[in-house]
Amino acid sequence: MNKRERYNNVMGYLFISPWLIGFFIFTLFPIIASFILAFTRYDVLSPPRWIGIDNWFRLLEDTRYHNSLKATFYYVFTAVPLRLIFALLVAMLLKPSTRLAGLYRGIYYLPSLIGGSVAVAVVWRQVFGSEGLINFILGMMGIKGLNWLGNPSTAIWTLIILAVWQFGSPMLIFLAGLKQIPDSLYEAASIDGAKGWDQFIKITLPMLSPVILFNLIMQIINGFMVFTQAYIITSGGPLDTTLFYSLYLYQKAFQSFEMGYASAMAWVLLMIIAFFTALAFKSSRFWVYYESEEGK
Amino acid sequence: MHKWVSGILVLLMCLTVFSTILPAQEKISLRVAWWGSQDRHNRTLKAIELFEKKYPNIKIYPEYTAWNDYWTKLNTQAAGKNLPDVIQHDYAYLSEWATRGLVLPLDEYISKGIIDLSSVAENQISPGKIGGKVYGINLGTNSLGMLYDPELFKKAGIPFPKVGWTWNDFREIATRLKNKLGIYGAEAITKADAQVFKVWLMSHGYWLYSEDGKSIGYKDDKLFVDWFNLLLDLQSKGAIPSIETDIARGTLGVEDMFIVTQKSAMGLLWSNQIVAVSKAAKERPLRFALMPRAPIPNAKPANYLKASQFFSVTSQSKHPKEAAMFIDFFTNSLEANKVLLAERGVPISSKIQKSLLPFLGSSQREMFNFVSLAEKNSLPIPPPDPPGATDVVNNVWNPIVEQILYGRITPDKAAVEFRDKVTKILQQR
Repeated sequence: MNKRERYNNVMGYLFISPWLIGFFIFTLFPIIASFILAFTRYDVLSPPRWIGIDNWFRLLEDTRYHNSLKATFYYVFTAVPLRLIFALLVAMLLKPSTRLAGLYRGIYYLPSLIGGSVAVAVVWRQVFGSEGLINFILGMMGIKGLNWLGNPSTAIWTLIILAVWQFGSPMLIFLAGLKQIPDSLYEAASIDGAKGWDQFIKITLPMLSPVILFNLIMQIINGFMVFTQAYIITSGGPLDTTLFYSLYLYQKAFQSFEMGYASAMAWVLLMIIAFFTALAFKSSRFWVYYESEEGK
Repeated sequence: MHKWVSGILVLLMCLTVFSTILPAQEKISLRVAWWGSQDRHNRTLKAIELFEKKYPNIKIYPEYTAWNDYWTKLNTQAAGKNLPDVIQHDYAYLSEWATRGLVLPLDEYISKGIIDLSSVAENQISPGKIGGKVYGINLGTNSLGMLYDPELFKKAGIPFPKVGWTWNDFREIATRLKNKLGIYGAEAITKADAQVFKVWLMSHGYWLYSEDGKSIGYKDDKLFVDWFNLLLDLQSKGAIPSIETDIARGTLGVEDMFIVTQKSAMGLLWSNQIVAVSKAAKERPLRFALMPRAPIPNAKPANYLKASQFFSVTSQSKHPKEAAMFIDFFTNSLEANKVLLAERGVPISSKIQKSLLPFLGSSQREMFNFVSLAEKNSLPIPPPDPPGATDVVNNVWNPIVEQILYGRITPDKAAVEFRDKVTKILQQR
């Protein structure tokens, strides 16, 4: 390495130093710290006390923790598939390049921009409140509305519907994927007499499968980390049916100040997400189609 | 060229560093933190302005939030050794903070007269005492009460609650209100952070926690079962909002309380909250009744006087003397109290109480009257909740109340589960 190269390297690192420092201080350090804290009892006010694997054992007998697992799995396994199906559907509709396509895409993407926000969550409360919009409309049709947020079997569905409504970003990715499929395949299929549904099953889905895999993984990760909506709309109730993992973790960390316990929870969540991501990857060779078969 | 640029950068850096240091040397700055509603923020900020006018060399930096975020923030600041100078404190946490050395004893400033407590009765000072030393100055006196709407009572032809009324009277009144007017008899008594259950126990002669804070304070689970049978009965009659309704309502702003919108004739409140609620109810007259007593012969009173909140000086403060002066200003300045207007509860200085009278609105006057009524019908304040009490309320009490009122578990079973779980939490600490 000559002087010039070394100088360039130093300058290079200097230029990216803000991000490096950010990574070390705000990402790597907290990760390590939380791993260590997971083996301690730490209430913030007094120094952490080493308790070994106690926190992990307590997870086994914490019924609210089990409720939170149940709620989170329920949410992930309903909201994620529904959102993906919905996103794909809308992407199919928006695929043809008409004159207003850009406008429609913009409009359909809009909910995702605002959907995660606190404001929408507050509006959602009103919409599904016992004197909210939904019950008002039902009332006009002569149907007595439910107490959506107070009923243990419907409360989580208000959150799932909100999640499905935010289909924008997977939709855009699907749209890009759909545009990549060569028209010649469809043309050849039509000549051979394949109808719309057959084309969808035999051409669109296999050609789109890498994109589906990507979306699936991103949405699974997102789904497990759901927080804001439940925090504002239901605060975990009724009967813990919407007590999502992150919400309970937050309550443990910042309301009960059991930082060690919360850290242990965070690491379990990491393992759960890693497991399902790995599962998606492993299963992909049975259903994901790459054009260059050898080089996948 | 390079040197020139870096030279400027260094200069800029020095400037920013110095600009933060310099003014602190000429002027003393104090950080003051409190929790509360918007109304409290406005009042406190005005009082701070008055203080700064009186002491031009002291600059106050206020930090205010709502109750929940307040303790998150304060605990984090404590860990980062970055606490404000003066913090608003609560009876539940004061002893913990004092034993950890996070707040300073104020006796030195009291004996020097920097905090003047000459017109304050001893029983107003004692709540802030831990181990014989004063760690917090009471900002106002409170008691839990049943707020009622006299208009609605008259409409239903029901006499007002009397001193010494019991939960049986309450059941009857609430049910009659429901049947006559088609509105709820009372709201906010089900979960209530276990507050109502605590005074229910108190009136029976017990408390939720034992003296040492290591176990449950009552022996007979019948007390637990009776309480929830009462609630279940009221819920089934529609005399209180069902658990579904309450959960769907979520955490409420005062504007959405049923007592404000006249959908309920009674509601549970701390006495100082009457000011905010009356404001939301457009100053419609609302009145306080004492908490109902246990339905047993020789029931004890179900009220106690509580310091609504304290001001404490943190041990990380660099200017404890000025911090003490600030607290004194809140306690003894008539000007300040005219602005604060007992929003934190009845002021502890008897002088201020008297001089404030002409300036009170009707809701504040009702609060003053109620607190003095409660004083005559009260038990001494129970010991502060043991560490772990937050855990008990959030992770045992609230879930179990929901399970009972949703009908998922019987009160008998719940009583046993409650005892098991609470005991476990208390003994872990």
